[in-house]
This record gives sequence, C-alpha cells and structure tokens, in this order.
Amino acid sequence: MVTIKEIINSPLLLALVCGGLLYITGFAVVYLLKARKRALELGITNKEVKDIVKSSLVFSVVPSLSIVIGLVALAASLGTIWAWWRLSVIGSLSFETQIASSLAATLKFASTADMMEHATGEQFGVVMILMSVGMLAGFCVLLPFGKKLMTSVDKTKGGNGWSNVLSGCFMLVLLAVYVPVLLICDTIQALVMITGLVVALALGVLAKKPGMAWLNNFIMAGSMIVGMVSSLLWTKIF
Amino acid sequence: MRKNNNPVTLDPFQNWAHRWGRIGTLIALIYMIAVPFIVLNYYNCVPSLGAVFNVATFGILAIYIPVGISEALSYTPLMGTSSYLGFITGNIMNLKLPCAVNALKIAGKEANTPEGDVVASIGVAASSIMTVVILTLAAAMVSVISPIFELQAVKTMSSYLLPALFGSMTLGLFASSSAGSKVVVGGIKGVIPVLVIISAVCIFARIAGFAGMILGLVGFMILLMLPVAIITSRILWKKGIIKVVDKEEK
Repeated sequence: MVTIKEIINSPLLLALVCGGLLYITGFAVVYLLKARKRALELGITNKEVKDIVKSSLVFSVVPSLSIVIGLVALAASLGTIWAWWRLSVIGSLSFETQIASSLAATLKFASTADMMEHATGEQFGVVMILMSVGMLAGFCVLLPFGKKLMTSVDKTKGGNGWSNVLSGCFMLVLLAVYVPVLLICDTIQALVMITGLVVALALGVLAKKPGMAWLNNFIMAGSMIVGMVSSLLWTKIF
Repeated sequence: MRKNNNPVTLDPFQNWAHRWGRIGTLIALIYMIAVPFIVLNYYNCVPSLGAVFNVATFGILAIYIPVGISEALSYTPLMGTSSYLGFITGNIMNLKLPCAVNALKIAGKEANTPEGDVVASIGVAASSIMTVVILTLAAAMVSVISPIFELQAVKTMSSYLLPALFGSMTLGLFASSSAGSKVVVGGIKGVIPVLVIISAVCIFARIAGFAGMILGLVGFMILLMLPVAIITSRILWKKGIIKVVDKEEK
C-alpha cells in the first residue's frame, strides 16, 4: 500500500509543482510587461512604473514571510512540496491551515502530525483533491462575471453616475466590516491596527517635507511592519 | 438624479486582460485540479468519489464556498483586471489587495479606470513574482529556516498581520478612491447600516465570549452586508443624499 510519505516526497509531484510555478511566474511576467507597456502609453512615466515595482517588491516581503511561517507549519503536516504549491497558488494562509486540520479530523486522525505519520496514499489523496477544489468557488464568479463586475464600476462612463457610488461602496463595505471586527473583538488587534494607522499618518506627514518624497513608496510597508512589531509590546502589556 | 447609461469602451489593456487573463486563469485552474489526479493515478491510489465527497467533507467545503464567492464579489471591483492574476496566486486580502492599493496610492491613480487598472496590475504582478521567489527559497531551505520561524515572537507578529495591514492600508484605500476627477460626497452614509449591524454583532460576541470566532466569519459578513450597503447607497443616491460631483465643486 502506498503511504503518504511516498506521495509527498514524490519526484513526479515535485516536477508538476515546478512546472505549475514556472507557468504562473511566466503569466505574472507577461502581465507585468503588458501593463508596463500600456502604462507608458497612458503617460505614466518609467520612473513611476519603477517606483511601483520597487514598492510592491518591498511591500510583499513581510506578508510573504508570514506565508513562510504557514509553509513551515504546513510542511510538517503535508510535506514541503505540497505546502509550497498550495501557498504559492490560489491558496490563502488561513484556508490551507484550517482545511488541513479539519480534514485530518474528518479522516479520524488525532492531528495533522498523526495524519503525516499514518495516512495511506488514498487518504492523502482525499486531502489533495479537496484542497484543490475547495477554493474554486471564487473562480466560478470571477471567470463568468468578472468582466461584468469590473465594468459595472468603471468610472470612465462619465457623468455624475451610479458607477462612481457603487465603486466606492465595495471599498467602504470592506472597511465597514473589517474595522469594527478588528477594533471591537480583540484589544490587541485594535491596538495593532491603530498603531499601523498612526504610523502611516506620521510617515505621510514626514513624506511631505522637502527631500522626503521617496518615503511615499514605503509608507504602507513601514507602517505595517511597525504595527506588527508593536504586537509584541501590546501582548506584554495586556 | 439622472442615471448614466453610456456604454463602457474598454482600454486595450483591459481588453487584453479580460481575454488572456481569463484564458490564463482557466489553464492554471485545470492544471491545479489535474496535479493531484496525475500523482495519485501514477501511484494507483485515486480515492473513490464517495471518500472525497461525503457529508463530512462537504461540511468543510460548505464553509469555504461562501468565502470564495464573497472574495470574488468584493475584491474584483476593487482590484480591477489585476484580479485574474491576484486570484491565481492567492493570498488576496493579506497581500494582493494591499499591493494594488499601494500601487494606486503611489501613482496617484483611481481604481476602476484604465490607468488604475494598469498600475494595480503592475503592483500585483511584481508582488506575485516576489512571493513565488520567497516561497521557493523558503521551501528549498525549510529545514534551515524552521527554527527562526518557530520563534514565539515571530509567530506573534505574524498572527497580527491583518490588523497591521488594515492600519497601514486604510489611508491608501481612501486616497485611491478620491484620486480621480469625480468625488463621491456622503458615500459613507450608505454603509452606516453595515457599521451599526457589524458593531452590534461584535459587541455581542465580545460580551458572550465568542469574539475570537468572528474574524473567521468575515467572508460571510461581507457577502451578507454587500447587498445592504448597495441598496442603501442606491436609495440615498436617488434621493440626492449621496452625490457625485466634480472635484473642483467639492
């Protein structure tokens, strides 16, 4: 009988994951080049494009390191190759971690570590298939209705129209749901969020000073890092 | 208040993204679904349909289906054509959406415009490449880096990524929504019912002692609250309480 360990360390799985990641990286590169070309045609300067790329790269480091923590945790229960694949595509850190432990319980294992030790190939197959299909719901909306959703809020329609209100509505709902949840449900979460906000404000003021405009590219990354680090202080106090 | 029904003429990049973004996404999806089946078939251990889809596993999937729908409905209008790439590479709320907002803020462009779409796409594409590189390095060195990422301080900081992100992103969200030539006046009034309902739920949850569960239900909440906010905003816009004016008029 094939065991979970044979599958998670399989050279075939590794080859397929490498192939998939090469495709996705290639897709991202084509997207970047196409968008850059159009940006220059639309009058956005090469310097602005470079600033966006630089800032996006810097900004991505810290959240990516958080995903690495998920990778380390998931690698212990699902093997490094499968965890690497799941967290690099579609998957979200919270979904993958939760579904792995829920499925381990459903398959009657005491924990994900227990599953890693004793699962058969078929049992791990259930985990692999469900993790793959679990996040498809979003695509069932995005692929057929994505264009319609985007054009419904397109602001180039002109006029004092509903599309402008609707466009802002999505952003406001996101804030109106997340902000009370973060501020009311947990004191430390609230303090971390307020710290990030205050630091973003302070950096914004600082960036307006002569010679400090470069700071604009790093306001979000900087305030996010300070916010996260502040959690160490807040957890000690409360 | 007169409704504007001008047809939308899409920018060449938006047209390209809708066509090739969808095709590229579809290819990626088929590949992602195929990977487990190819491997399991090779080892001759494909589980039966009943083992994969049963009451217990459907219960788990049922939690994630509304979240996926909610993400697509709420993030797509914010991210524009960068959504296709963002959804393939995942981690939208904790990485791709903030990156798109950051890019819009830096360039001073408005979301849902041709300029906004290219700028957000540049940010999301650069971020996607960076994440793949970091995760590849991490996967290659997982045994070396594990001790660092298992430090309690690192775990604590990581668990507060979302509130820190929201703190840093809130100003950017407002900046990107007011960067164009038109300004929505009183738009926040449309989400007052949402603020009241969610705040009441959170206060109740905190008093009742299950506040820790609420963050996991945010996807459901957004899905439920979107129609509330859209209907309220529509009524207030029709009554002239929410207005769209030229920036100079404000």
